[in-house]
Amino acid sequence: MWPSEGVHQLSALRAGSRGRIVRVQRDLTPRAERLAALGVGPGARITVLQTFPGIVIECDQTELALERVVGSAIWIAVE
Amino acid sequence: MSCPHAIEGLTPKPLLRLRAHPLRIALVGNPNVGKSVIFGRLTGRYVTVSNYPGTTVAVTRGRATVGAEVCDIVDTPGVNMLEGALSEDEKVTRDLVASGKAELIVQVADARNLRRALMLTSQIAAFGRPTILVLNMIDEARARGVDIDTAGLAAELGIPVIEAVATEGRGLAELREALTEAAPLDGGIATGVTHLQWADEMAHRFRTIGPMSLGRFQEWLGRAVREPLTGLPILILVLYLTYLAVGVLGAQTLVGLLEDGLFGTWLNPWARSLAAHIPVAFVRDFLVGDYGLVTMGMTYAIAIVLPVVTTFFLVFGILEDSGYIPRLAIFSDRIFRAMGLNGKAVLPMVLGLGCDTMATMTTRILATPKERLIAILLLALGVPCSAQLATIMGILGGVSFWALLTLFGVVVFQMIFVGFLAARLLPGDRSDFIMELPPMRLPRLGNLATKTGLRVRWYLGEALPLFLVGTALLFALDRVGGLAVIAQATRPVVSGLLGLPPKAAEVFVMGFLRRDYGAAGMFLMARDGALTHVQAVVALTVMTLFVPCVANFLMIVKERGLRVGLAILGFVTVMAVGTGAVLNGVLGFFHVAF
Repeated sequence: MWPSEGVHQLSALRAGSRGRIVRVQRDLTPRAERLAALGVGPGARITVLQTFPGIVIECDQTELALERVVGSAIWIAVE
Repeated sequence: MSCPHAIEGLTPKPLLRLRAHPLRIALVGNPNVGKSVIFGRLTGRYVTVSNYPGTTVAVTRGRATVGAEVCDIVDTPGVNMLEGALSEDEKVTRDLVASGKAELIVQVADARNLRRALMLTSQIAAFGRPTILVLNMIDEARARGVDIDTAGLAAELGIPVIEAVATEGRGLAELREALTEAAPLDGGIATGVTHLQWADEMAHRFRTIGPMSLGRFQEWLGRAVREPLTGLPILILVLYLTYLAVGVLGAQTLVGLLEDGLFGTWLNPWARSLAAHIPVAFVRDFLVGDYGLVTMGMTYAIAIVLPVVTTFFLVFGILEDSGYIPRLAIFSDRIFRAMGLNGKAVLPMVLGLGCDTMATMTTRILATPKERLIAILLLALGVPCSAQLATIMGILGGVSFWALLTLFGVVVFQMIFVGFLAARLLPGDRSDFIMELPPMRLPRLGNLATKTGLRVRWYLGEALPLFLVGTALLFALDRVGGLAVIAQATRPVVSGLLGLPPKAAEVFVMGFLRRDYGAAGMFLMARDGALTHVQAVVALTVMTLFVPCVANFLMIVKERGLRVGLAILGFVTVMAVGTGAVLNGVLGFFHVAF
């Protein structure tokens, strides 16, 4: 779906991974909008803290918990 | 700290202007940034302060004197955005800002998270109101290595920017002073770019992030409570400590002291001997009889329920202020998703253990109408409030561990079952689980004491009158033979289906008024040996699932309308009695005696 090298869905990353958001998929729900309001949008740097039972990321000094479906809509250029 | 207005302060601008009403100032900001703390500092009025997003779900107004002028201060629910798809608590804030009822906006920001705050700033700009930006919790931000060029930011935005640590009162004097300097933001600050891009650029220019000097323990704890391997044992420990504090210290030790000691040995005999001088038997019975105001109403409210709610509110306050509760959302997300909700619903559900009425209001933080309806239904159906929870523990703790497990097992199963059906039968969608986890903090003793004190006072103010009214009602019913009629009429259900003694019908009538009042009645029946163990389990299960108390019902009507309220009332009653009947049958069939 996203051909470039080193870009993965957030939901596929392991705990401890770091990277920069390159894209947040838009759909008919306000998902992308809500994420953006929390600072999770293209350009933001994130660290994956935990993947089970839910995904926890750190973005901008703040911990955010997300469900898997949300994580699969966020594409990360892993560093 | 440098304040751009300090120099202008040499030629003080008078805040005193001719106005038909006091200047209206709204505190606006992201969730959990400390708006309510600043509100309290400015107005001297306490509003509940906790460490999770969504503590404030309605606006609170207060008065503050700034210079020579009286101002109206409005505390608002936290918002992450002011445009787009908003939840109901966010709409409350947006409507207030848009309506012009906020003439001056004080944006409160968590200094850790400047970028997100600025995103909101760029949306506030669109309303063109004089604005001040307060960077709160600047100490925590520094500990995390975040350094902000406040003066530079103020110059760029053209508004006062104040650094503050509101819980310690730092920055409040500067804020008061700056109120005269507030200026409208340039409405076009984010034109051509998105709010996020603009905020990104601003944060990049005025903020540097250095190495973190956060306490190791705090960091470790924050991780330990959310990871399954350590988090689940911690959860069990927290539940066990809560049980020790509320179920043992509150429901057994303190209740024993107050009920047998204070009321049993002193107050009730004293009241009886005093009442013996009253020549009219009717009045005497009204005060100190079987359904007497003192011997029943006061004893229930003060001796049985008060110790339990006090210990519960205390433990609950610690949990609220530590930042622990939102982390439970990570573990419960999957279960809640099966019920048409998401992990965020853990907040109203856990708050329901304190008081279902307040929790019903907190469902405003949920994003869709369907989620709100399901959460309100489940609160009314299964979540026992503090007082009820402890009477349950008080009665069944003395029976056996299995009795307690049976009750909670049945109640949780029913909630999941009903939630599962509601998720499929009700129209609408659930929203994504996206939730901010606040930092773990050591609860502040001052806030804990104030909060617990206010909640206990609230309990006394709300519950005590209802207990007394309830007792008077029971007394009247008893006098006119109404209790016998009710017992007779409900005998097929109470005795036939549920296998309970007819007197239990009285307790259910009391449960209509307040669930804890009913539970307290049950407590005494069990203690006097009027209930077998199986009967106690069945009766308490029915009472837990039974109708919400009057206050909760009124709140449901207020939030969702009379039709929904009545529908929930009817459904829950049928569900409770049905479940009790099945439970009674099953326990009888297998000859379970606990």
